[in-house]
Order: sequence, then structure tokens, then C-alpha cells
Amino acid sequence: MGFLTILKKLRQKEKEMRILMLGLDNAGKTTILKRFNGEPIDTISPTLGFNIKTLEHRGFKLNIWDVGGQKSLRSYWKNYFESTDGVAWVVDCADARRLAACARELHALLREERLAGASLLVLANKADLPGALSAKDIREALDLDSIKSHHWRIVHCSAVTGEHLLDGMDWMLDDIASRIFSID
Amino acid sequence: MVFFNLWSVLQWYLRPFIKWFLRKTTRLCELQRICYGDKPGAERSRNVEKSLMLSRTRDVKQVVSYLDNTVLERSFVPRNFPEILNPSVAIILRAKKINPKLHELFIVSFRRCLAQIWSYRLLLEEVEEMRKTHYDSSLPEHEEKLLKLWSLLVPNEDLESRVTKQWQYIGFQGDDPKTDFRGMGLLGLENLLFFASEYPQASSHVLSHSHHPKYGYTYAVVGINLTSMAYYLLKDGSAKTYMFNARQYLPNMNLFHKFYCYLFYEFDKMWIESKPENMMEFSIIFKKFENAIRNELADPASVFRINIEVDTI
Repeated sequence: MGFLTILKKLRQKEKEMRILMLGLDNAGKTTILKRFNGEPIDTISPTLGFNIKTLEHRGFKLNIWDVGGQKSLRSYWKNYFESTDGVAWVVDCADARRLAACARELHALLREERLAGASLLVLANKADLPGALSAKDIREALDLDSIKSHHWRIVHCSAVTGEHLLDGMDWMLDDIASRIFSID
Repeated sequence: MVFFNLWSVLQWYLRPFIKWFLRKTTRLCELQRICYGDKPGAERSRNVEKSLMLSRTRDVKQVVSYLDNTVLERSFVPRNFPEILNPSVAIILRAKKINPKLHELFIVSFRRCLAQIWSYRLLLEEVEEMRKTHYDSSLPEHEEKLLKLWSLLVPNEDLESRVTKQWQYIGFQGDDPKTDFRGMGLLGLENLLFFASEYPQASSHVLSHSHHPKYGYTYAVVGINLTSMAYYLLKDGSAKTYMFNARQYLPNMNLFHKFYCYLFYEFDKMWIESKPENMMEFSIIFKKFENAIRNELADPASVFRINIEVDTI
């Protein structure tokens, strides 16, 4: 039994997952985290630094890291990459102006060695806003179809109404689980 | 937890007996004992509030709900105090069988407590209303405030356009500040504006710290996070210590802004003293700061003043 197998066995016991939530500022990362955790979402201020929440979902223990998306903070994202099982990339569907920057940041992120193998969930957030782009538009703008290095999925969701948020999370959990808890 | 619950149940039953016993032995009702015995300010007003809220006397309950109603109608303002407080005090005096001629001091002190307690409640409503007002860039009065903030903080430089990277100089995240106010709404902007206009020296001192090559931070966004802290401290009642100990003032919007300025000034001090490695330490230092403030507020004797000692070179 190799070291990795032991590690995997250990994690299997706890069924713990580490999820990193990233995206440009004002994408809605903290709102999604709070919504997921059942906290009120109407008194949020811009995140400086990071928030971390540990929550139980479907028998898994999720450690969700929500790191500030402001430009000056993005160079610190790399400090949070280690042993990440899944990346939730949050996009503001109503912010067409910065989609190009968003695509650039995402593809730079996917080149990171330490994130190799992590599942990627693109949360096309704020779908409820007037003028929000469709999931198809986002998929094209972010050039998701070119991604071969990671398992990925996009969901059109809204942290405010809560729609499709769980669908997305559930897909990511299943994808991660099939990868790390499957050797029995 | 169980012990705590048990104690509160016990207290519910025991309270009337203890009160009756003390009333017989001291010949004073609980409100009198508080107003004569506790230090004026946070200690006295908090205890008066507690006593009124726990009271099971019908008249007292009615006075409380009447006062709450004046808050909802937004009429609990100093101009209306004679009209509102005189009858309220009179009802309590009658219900508690207090002789107004013998206890003039009590009346003055008790009245002051009522003014503080319900001004605080009114303030909470006003702050909530302002927070819920989203920043709306289609409203000229919102835009004017934003532009005024710039001209106060950066007097020697004009904005090139409404949407510009220059905003990052005063610590907004991107090139349009409108999205940074978020859940704090107009309250965040009004707080920033008050700090810049009422304490120009202190705010420019803090702004210059935010440009520190090593310990720099984003001024406006930190400010909005501090608005959030001030808001929660007000909402959960912790800020009563600050508000009730401000001798010359009753709780009002100005005092809330001043509380915010105090927080901003002190946070900046702590941040610089902590010599943070980078901006990612914000979450930890911010939490540490909040705990320190909560500790101070937990002591009813705490008095808060901005000790502005701007280092002049």
C-alpha cells in the first residue's frame, strides 16, 4: 500500500473535500457561500482576505474557501491552491464588460499545476438579473469547450433566488467523490 | 447551556420575590434603585431598559409599547420629548407609587434614560433604512455624494471621468465604485463621507497609511467593512455602551457616524501596528479588532474618544 493510498483511505473515512471559490470581484462568491450555509445574504460587504466555512452536505464535510476577487488580491490566490479538490469559478452574468478579463483569469488558473485534477464548476451567477447573459453565452465567452485538462460543468444560477445552485454543487461533489473516494 | 436555561427559568419565578423583598427593605422600586445607585450612562440606561422590558406591570408594558410606536412613526425626536416623555414618566410614577416631590432627581435621571433608550431604537431604524437604500448611479443625489467623497479625499486631482481607475486610489475595487457598496448601501457611502468631511486631518492621515508601500490596504473597501461592523454592533446592542456614554449627545445618526470614525481610526492603527505580511491577513486582523472592540464595549464604564495625534513631520 503506497502513501497515496493511505492518504486516500484516511480521507475516505472523513469524506472531507476542499473547495476553492474564485472569480472576479462582485461576482457573488460570498453571497453563494452564505446562501449555501443558510445565512442572510443582504448585508454583505466586499471580501478582503478570505472567508472559510465548513459545512456538511450529503454526508460530506466541505471546507469551502471564498477568497476576495479584487485585482490586487488575485496574486494571493495561489496560496490557497494546495490540496484543492474542486474549484467553483463564479461569474457575474450581468457584467458583460469584464467577461474577457474573467476568461483570462480562468484560463491562467487552469494552467496551475497544483490545481491539476480538480473539478471545475462554473457558476454563472446572477441569472435572475435583467440583462443577464445565458449559460451558452458565458460558455462561449469563457471558451469552456477548449478545457480538456479538467472535468467541468457550467450552471446558470442565482444566489439570490437559490435556483440551480445545489444542482451545480451536487455535480461537483459527485465528480470529486468518484475520483477520490472510489478505491475500494 | 442547560444550566443557563435553568437559571433563566428560576429567575423568572424568583424575580418578583426578590423585587418585593428589596422594595420592602429599601422602600424604593427597582427603577429608583437603578437610577440612584448605578452610574449615569451605559450602566444606568441599560439596567433601566432591562427592568422595563422584564416588567409585568400592565401600565409599564403600555408605556413601552407606546414609546416603541413613536419610534415606528419616527416621532421620537427631541422636539417632541415634552409631549411624549412627560406623560410616560407620569404613568410610571403613578404605577410605582413614587412621590414626584420627594424624587425629583429620579425623574430627571429616569427621563434621560428613556430619551437614550428610545433614541437608540430610533437610530437603529434610521440606520437600517439607510443601509437598505442601494447605491443607485441613476440618482443624481447619490452620484453627487460619491463625487464629493473624491473631492474631499483627493482635493488636488480631478476625476478624468465617472468610470476610471482613479477610484482605486481611494481604495475602491475597480473602476466604478457603485458595486462596492453592496449590502451596506448608502450607509457605507455616508460613513465614508462623514469621516472625510468632519475629520479631514484624521481621514487623510488614514488614507496616507492605506498607500503605505508595505502595509497598504484598500481604504474605501476597508471602510465599507467597518460600516458593516458598526452596523452589527449597533444592531446587537453592543454599541449602547458607546452611545449611552456620550454625555452631551443622544444616540442619533451623527453619533453613529462618529462611532464609525472611531472604528476606522483605531482599525488603521491596529493594522499598521500588526505589520501584516499582505492584504490576505485582513480577515484575521479584522476579527481581532472586532474582538478588542467588543471587549471594550462590554465594560459599561468605557468612554470612547478619537485621540487624534496626527504625526506631523
